Amino acid sequence: MLRRLLLTLVSLGLATGLAQAQTKPTLTVYTYGSFAGKYGPGKTVKERFEATCGCDLNWVTAEDAGSLLGRLRLEGEDTKADAVVGLDMNLVAEARSLNLFAPHGVDEKDLTLPITWTDSTFIPFDWGYYAFVYDASKLAHPPKSLRELVDDPNGPKVVLQDPRTSAPGLGLLLWMQKVYGDKAGEAWGRLQPRIVTFTKGWSEAYGLFLKGEADMVMSYTTSPAYHVVAEKKDNYRAAAFSEGHYLHVELAGMTRTSKQPDLAKKFMAFILSEPFQSAMPEGNWMMPAKTPAAGLPAAFKDLVQPSRALLFTPEEVQQNRRAFTDAWLNATAR
Amino acid sequence: MTLKPPHPGSLVAIAILALVAGGFIALATVGGGTPSLLSIGPYLWRVLAFSLIQATLSAALSLALGIGLALALARRRFPGRDVVLAILGSTMVMPTIVAVFAVFAVYGRSGWLADVLAVLGWTGGFSIFGYPGILIAHVFLNGPFVARITLDGLNQVPAEHWRLAAALGFTPVQIFRHLDWPVLRGELPGVAGLIFLMCFKSFAIVLALGGGPSRSTLEVAIFEALKIDLDFGRVAWLALIQLALCLSMTALLHWAFTRPPVGHTIRSLVHRPDAKNRGLKILDAMVLVVSALFIAPLAFSVLTGFRSLPAVIDADLLRAFVTSLAIAGAAAILACGLALALASAARRRRIVLRSPRLAALYDLLPDALLAVPPFALTAGLFLLIRRFGDPSTAGFVLLPLINGLAAVPFAYRYVAPRLLTTEERYGRVAASLGITGWSKLAIMDWPELKRPLAAGFALAMALSFGDFGIVALFGGTELVTLPYLLYERLGAYRMDEASSVGLVIVFVAVILAHASGRLSDARD
Repeated sequence: MLRRLLLTLVSLGLATGLAQAQTKPTLTVYTYGSFAGKYGPGKTVKERFEATCGCDLNWVTAEDAGSLLGRLRLEGEDTKADAVVGLDMNLVAEARSLNLFAPHGVDEKDLTLPITWTDSTFIPFDWGYYAFVYDASKLAHPPKSLRELVDDPNGPKVVLQDPRTSAPGLGLLLWMQKVYGDKAGEAWGRLQPRIVTFTKGWSEAYGLFLKGEADMVMSYTTSPAYHVVAEKKDNYRAAAFSEGHYLHVELAGMTRTSKQPDLAKKFMAFILSEPFQSAMPEGNWMMPAKTPAAGLPAAFKDLVQPSRALLFTPEEVQQNRRAFTDAWLNATAR
Repeated sequence: MTLKPPHPGSLVAIAILALVAGGFIALATVGGGTPSLLSIGPYLWRVLAFSLIQATLSAALSLALGIGLALALARRRFPGRDVVLAILGSTMVMPTIVAVFAVFAVYGRSGWLADVLAVLGWTGGFSIFGYPGILIAHVFLNGPFVARITLDGLNQVPAEHWRLAAALGFTPVQIFRHLDWPVLRGELPGVAGLIFLMCFKSFAIVLALGGGPSRSTLEVAIFEALKIDLDFGRVAWLALIQLALCLSMTALLHWAFTRPPVGHTIRSLVHRPDAKNRGLKILDAMVLVVSALFIAPLAFSVLTGFRSLPAVIDADLLRAFVTSLAIAGAAAILACGLALALASAARRRRIVLRSPRLAALYDLLPDALLAVPPFALTAGLFLLIRRFGDPSTAGFVLLPLINGLAAVPFAYRYVAPRLLTTEERYGRVAASLGITGWSKLAIMDWPELKRPLAAGFALAMALSFGDFGIVALFGGTELVTLPYLLYERLGAYRMDEASSVGLVIVFVAVILAHASGRLSDARD
């Protein structure tokens, strides 16, 4: 029995080791799990890029943006990554300080972001607004502003993410900060009785919301599009808040340690081209950074259009994150 | 005086210590910085206090449920008992997120319990957030495991004892005091220590069910330092605090409960004289019913994953299944090998060299492995091995290694007590015949070890099979395990498919637990 098991293990090891010799150059791109997964845009992007580059595109994944950055930090200059797809605005300052990224040299004209983008190191590949998603068949009158959500003692119960472990969690922390400034701590205190819990990540929170544990969940304005397209359900909506919504921009960059700088540059240019961008909406459930000529899929046209995009600069986030988090902890950890 | 080569167990102990210490040092000094020893603020004190209370309560309740259930199962036979045992052996290895969703499916605002109460006309809402939810989840995950491992221990009572007890007409109380309690006393400290550590580190469960950041664990701070602040010195420092705390707790347990000597022969008796006692019949029936009411709904909620099963069975799933199996197999081999080496070194110290204090250190070592935060250990080990090879293949080494190390304490629980028992029973005979070293292992220990090793192996495999922990950092398209697949589907809004993948994982765990149960019934 044991001998057979050992044999199996050894042969498995050999099978993985005997990957056929590569003749084409390989471009290694780091991204997060769901991007390269079965339903993510990774497969499409790979096919379309390989059709033009005469190379192999190889996705290497970590769980989420934070893990990606942690992994890059661990690997340092030995990293095999030629490019990274999937960082976000709130991690950019830390990513920059790693000193691993090279100028991308891509022309950033005609982007369809709600903000003007000029950055020589990182390019945006998709974006969305954070928003509270609710089930219209159960919640007839969602709050019309963040202040209404916070101040109404009989308002809906919400499930949120922990800002220390997840991107949307940090997004809401910054959103509250934008709307309330120094009074954010008190606002958290008023919302506290109706916060079901702060989960570790987006998935747990969204799962709890779908199971009916809360009336609203912190997610994205694009979430309802998923339910419309994939499940043919139109009862999930994002609530439009009058103060404006916090913006979430996802970013890509190329490493200065890449053995294939030309190929990496080519890939960075490809990110803002039509074949990549058209895979974003229904692949990653986000808005494309450069809307394709054919326009957006129908489900994306009637999404909430916030009046204002709220945003801290990456440097502001880096300087204040600790103080914001501590204020949040003091207000909610009782 | 010739120099004897060191015992393999001592080498293993030194290797483990070096690995952990090296990882810490690598973490603390990465980037050429010296670690910043930060002060623990009031928040961290609160978190530590909460973690201690929460883990103590969780462990105490898990032990209460587990011991009650084990005694009831030892006294009773009923159809389907095998299946029950397999389920008991598999709850602990559920991926945490599956457990979280299971608790909500049963106890949530829209859960089954709420439905039942609504039918009964009670509509007053209830909330399980905070201690209730955390304790429910932890007791559900760990209580059955305690029952399983205690039941294995209870079967070790020699037949003569039972005959004597029957001849002397022991009352149930006397039976418990003289036959069951010594076994429990031997098993308790180790098992309680394990459960305490698991609950102290529990992270996703505590966040999801805690209801707020006051219900948090040190792992959250470690996670934050590692993934957001990128402050590895702080990671190492927090990890050290956790290690020190957890080890003091387990040391205290080992010190409080000393192990009694064991009997001399072994043939378990099928019939316990106290099975006929009417009071015990009622008690056991109650225990079994309450346990069933508690465990069954949570276990069955996993079956809702059946709905999307056809959608997830594809080449990806099969590949992930094979990958998980290979990693789990490698991890289990490592865990059993290390546990065996450590346990035999501990035995030699305790019985042959008569230094129980040193032996206790060996007993603590596996727990130390469990107390080290996996994120910190992974990051540290990665920094160590990155100099020797291609970082992109690090996952292939690290996954089995970390999973194997994390499973050592569990394998040790199975192997160490049995090794001591064989030494106490046959050690003198072996010594007088001059049987030592490998032949001693083959002739004296192996027949007794086969079962616990197989059980430990299956458990180690199941543990590794359901572990997501470090795949988060080192998964990848070439290294997709089933838990990885589960999270990938969750991240793509496919909650139903994720629950199907969860079902597959749990199903494999049940099979493994059943196999280990069958193996431990296969008496020589």
